[in-house]
Amino acid sequence: MLVFTRRRGEVIMIGDGIEVQVLRVGRDGVRLGIVAPASVPVHRQEVYAQIRSANQAAANPVADLSALSRHLLRQP
Amino acid sequence: MMQTLTATPIVHPPLQGPITSGSVRQQHVLTFPAGLPGFEQCRSFVLMATNDSDTPLHYLTALDGPEASFIVIDPRQVQQGYRCELTETDARRLGVGASGDTSLVWFAMVTFEAGGTVTVNLRAPVVINPALMIGHQVIPHQGSYPVRHVLVQGE
Repeated sequence: MLVFTRRRGEVIMIGDGIEVQVLRVGRDGVRLGIVAPASVPVHRQEVYAQIRSANQAAANPVADLSALSRHLLRQP
Repeated sequence: MMQTLTATPIVHPPLQGPITSGSVRQQHVLTFPAGLPGFEQCRSFVLMATNDSDTPLHYLTALDGPEASFIVIDPRQVQQGYRCELTETDARRLGVGASGDTSLVWFAMVTFEAGGTVTVNLRAPVVINPALMIGHQVIPHQGSYPVRHVLVQGE
């Protein structure tokens, strides 16, 4: 892992067109600004991990679809 | 550019029955350029009808990568007034033009949990651009909908 020391307002550049700027440094966290091309998705790691886990849990269900369909059709 | 969910879902008629080499035609294939989180190698999917023609449920099934088949539903069938905004990045991924008038089709993944609980992921919908047959799972930065919206409470 590359490790840098950055002060407030300083920037790290990654590849072509990705910039990470330190906006604010607090006691409990660092506020970062990210500039990236539209083709590069940027996510909080824990949110992406949560969606990945949800997808894995949803995949290849063994389920009674007709029961769920009846349940859905009963609803207004 | 923001696009809000307004369109009624109309996608290419879903496939009926099991996938066989003869049943999937090129016009049925949805391309997910980034795959799905957890299934990044799956790039080609088909949307299939379930056996019950009255149901709002569909199968979204991968044609490549690891085995991956999902039950999906229009999120508005689950949550009235469901809204989700696309970022510029999402819109570009889906090939939505600057005019923003492309009709998009929205689905939410259904999870059958242990004990009979059924949940729907309203936080990260799967969005399809039927004109280009491109799909993308949107992960909003600020999500007001839950990943586990309980549809059926199990024991």
